[in-house]
Amino acid sequence: MSRVSRRDVLKIGAGAAATLGFPSIIRAQSKEIVILGLWDQTGAFADVGPINDRGMKMALDERNMQILGRPIKYITRDGATQAGTSTRRTEEAVDGDGAKFVVGPWSSGVALAVSEVAKRKKVLHLFSGGTEDISGARCHRYSFQWAASPYTAAKTVVDSFMKANPKAKRWHLLVADYAFGWSVEKYIKEVGKTHGLEFVGADRHPLGEREFSNYVQKAAANKPDAVAMINFGGDAVAGAREIFNFGLTPKVPLIMTWSSGVEELVQLSPEIRQNIWVGSNFYYTADTPVAKAFVKSYQSKFGNPPGYAPSAAYSMTRLLLAGFDKAKSAEVQDVVKALEGIEVNDIVGRMRMDAATHQNIRPYFFMRCKPKAAMKHETDFADIIATGDAPLPKEYAACKDIGSF
Amino acid sequence: MLYALMGLGLSLVTGILNIPNFAHGALFAIGAYLLATVAVAIGNFWIALVVAPVGVALLGLAIEYFGVRRLYAAGHDYQLLFTFGLALILSESIILIWGPVGSSYLPPEILRGGADLGFTMYPKYRLFVMVAAGLLVLATWLFLEKTRYGAIMRAGIENKEMVSLLGIDIKMLFTVAFALGAYLAGIAGALTAPIRGLNPGMGPDMLGIAFVVVALGGLGNLLGAIAAGLIIGVAQALVAAYWTEASTVVIYAVMAVILLVRPQGLFGIR
Amino acid sequence: MKKPIVLILISIFLLPLIVRPAIASEIWLFAIFGLGANLLLGYTGLLSFGQATFFGSAAYVAGWLMKIQGVNAFLALVAGIGVGAGSATVVGYLCVQRSGLYFIMLTFALNQLFYFTAYQWTSVTGGEDGMPGVPRPVLAGIDFKDPLIYYAFVSLLFLVSLYLMKRIVESPLGKILQAIRENEVRAEAVGYNVPRFKLLAFVIGGAFSGLAGVLYAMLFGIVPLEAISFVFSGNVVFATLIGGSGSLYGPVIGSFVFIWLSESMSTVWARWPLLLGVAFVIVVLFFRGGVVEVFSRLKKWQFSRQKS
Repeated sequence: MSRVSRRDVLKIGAGAAATLGFPSIIRAQSKEIVILGLWDQTGAFADVGPINDRGMKMALDERNMQILGRPIKYITRDGATQAGTSTRRTEEAVDGDGAKFVVGPWSSGVALAVSEVAKRKKVLHLFSGGTEDISGARCHRYSFQWAASPYTAAKTVVDSFMKANPKAKRWHLLVADYAFGWSVEKYIKEVGKTHGLEFVGADRHPLGEREFSNYVQKAAANKPDAVAMINFGGDAVAGAREIFNFGLTPKVPLIMTWSSGVEELVQLSPEIRQNIWVGSNFYYTADTPVAKAFVKSYQSKFGNPPGYAPSAAYSMTRLLLAGFDKAKSAEVQDVVKALEGIEVNDIVGRMRMDAATHQNIRPYFFMRCKPKAAMKHETDFADIIATGDAPLPKEYAACKDIGSF
Repeated sequence: MLYALMGLGLSLVTGILNIPNFAHGALFAIGAYLLATVAVAIGNFWIALVVAPVGVALLGLAIEYFGVRRLYAAGHDYQLLFTFGLALILSESIILIWGPVGSSYLPPEILRGGADLGFTMYPKYRLFVMVAAGLLVLATWLFLEKTRYGAIMRAGIENKEMVSLLGIDIKMLFTVAFALGAYLAGIAGALTAPIRGLNPGMGPDMLGIAFVVVALGGLGNLLGAIAAGLIIGVAQALVAAYWTEASTVVIYAVMAVILLVRPQGLFGIR
Repeated sequence: MKKPIVLILISIFLLPLIVRPAIASEIWLFAIFGLGANLLLGYTGLLSFGQATFFGSAAYVAGWLMKIQGVNAFLALVAGIGVGAGSATVVGYLCVQRSGLYFIMLTFALNQLFYFTAYQWTSVTGGEDGMPGVPRPVLAGIDFKDPLIYYAFVSLLFLVSLYLMKRIVESPLGKILQAIRENEVRAEAVGYNVPRFKLLAFVIGGAFSGLAGVLYAMLFGIVPLEAISFVFSGNVVFATLIGGSGSLYGPVIGSFVFIWLSESMSTVWARWPLLLGVAFVIVVLFFRGGVVEVFSRLKKWQFSRQKS
């Protein structure tokens, strides 16, 4: 039993409290607009959080950290790539710091949980993408999806690849086993029908898989004309690596359907990247004025071109700021209404936010990786060969009613 | 085969030292990172393959000398806390030194690409790893079975008190055992680098499987660890082919069953 | 022993002034979790590396009941305690047959089993995304949506749990468990059915874990997958060890230290787990008794200074 006196512990407690600064008592000044960037610093997406932050800050700095004549208070929280931690910290930011606008997180699964918090707390939530549900089955008035719809992605990828490789009719699919993977798989098969594709195999692997040898063996055994992977991040990198180790690439082309582009490609080597075709929400060689300016600025600040993560954060923040401009108000509901139907010229080109589903209608990029000899500099991974922006057909839309406030 | 190597190192440490070594995964990761760093620095994979695990072994020595050594008498809870804390320190250090982004390391030229085995294609490098790991396992086995020091180690697993009564420096034995365990983790990591690439999370990923292998093979049962590693590798492939979702559940179910039904492992005699 | 109780009561009142009510609630519910874990760890000498199994299972079941079936808070709590105790009975029954490293590995393996089942059974648990939308149902007309009211509720339950645990460890049962920890063979020889008592410790610990699990689900409105992961199991063990497993209040202090540190450190340095690792190492090498030991050593040092 501790025989410490009351006084001792109270003394220590007061000291600790002082260092913590009584956060629950301090509230945001009423003039400030508090925006939360929910970026992961630990966990599976620990490498992405810091660069998300960069992109978001750049967009805010372009306006000198103010909008509508009011100062912007930008706070970040580490979601730890976990649903519990992320929702907790989001709620604390809303309750304790007065955050009314949330951008992030990066993980789609966690984003769904955060989206629920946004609905409950009635704060605006912008999310990049990787799940159909935010603009689909779980849609609601407060959340918006920035990334292209998986349908747009699938159509762009299949159409563009077939244009460049009209004879590659036998496809093998390697799909991450979660709802988003299944959605993209469904759309690829749909679009594939119009090209007369034969799907000689489709294997699902658990999320977070690192041991791909069995899957690649099966793929190789089917003797496909092309292998398409529907996965993300570490899974995609591990898969691509294994496919190369088995000697499948570069003979057989590998399609990374929903890739982050730079972030994944940088983890591979030029040899592994040979004959890889990449579908992505953004690539830094995009030919739009906004992209060019952003890339130039990013490169001068950080020494290398921006990958998908900072670009997405930058674009989402710009979209949010455009919402403030249009609404001429910083009230959440006004900005939501302003975002519905808004049209913006951004790094990807023209974006339009569909009011009925809160899905961003915008181009999706398709690239081809370069062989080592053609690379002009260390990060010159690929060339954009096509874009596509076919929106999700109404009959597939799972968001029947965006709901009210 | 990789599972066998990892299991071997961990089995050694848990068997002789009776410590749940949660840092084993982190040592694996460091082995991989050291290999890539050294290989890129000096431009030679083979030399790096020799040097990197030695680096890990030295790290293991330091860990044992300054930390683990004081904990033999302590309860498992403190050993766990210590090795877990160590694992945290090591993984975060990896991020501090090498950054949070993963990277690839290609196998040396001659081992790249697939080999046509007739019934299937298989990566040349993986075949190499199978052979290399097999040789290592053989070498370890020979050391343990045929040399005097090896015999002392095995005796140490069976009965620590007796060994020290016989006048053998038990402290030295433990230090060498830990360093050897670290070496095995390090070389498993080094061999894995071209297959799995480098990633700060690779340590914890491997650790879970290593514990399963050790449980299946029997704590301290080194041949058992090898066999268990092979079995688990094969089982995982089979289950993944037929029932993807269940593959990890099955592994841990097997582990639990073995611990319950035959705690000495599939091959243990105790 | 009046003094620690007074300290705790004061902390309960002061805490929401210093940190947000949500963090404060988390500290006390984690302390409940720790009390349960420490019954096994500190008092019975069993290092269970799978306490999250009971915590998480209770959270999922209670969460599901509240969300889908619309149960009220009281029933949810009862269900959670039941599930916690029930899962602990199953796990405990299997685990008490082994000891030492085997025991630890078995609790770990079973935890992983539950974890990966929850991971894959996405239709029920939501898998990696967790189970969001857990409401805070009304109890006896009190609406818990207000963070402070919920905090009062959690701290009340904590005090009840603390009192119960105190009674348990001071009862004959508590003495028997400690005897088992000291020397299992002798306890058996004296005539106690050791496996049965170990199982009892599991079940009681599981009940406490279950209670904490339900409170967690209600606090955050979500049952995340990490609540049933072995990392979470590790957290409660480490928090308890840091606080001091040799004392009833160790888990309480440990919960404070652990949760406060993780929350405040994450905004300061992204690599804070390294400091956590260092803290673990320091505790093991120098302060086995945890924070409790630090305090008592400080006291002794102060006392000896006063004398001279």
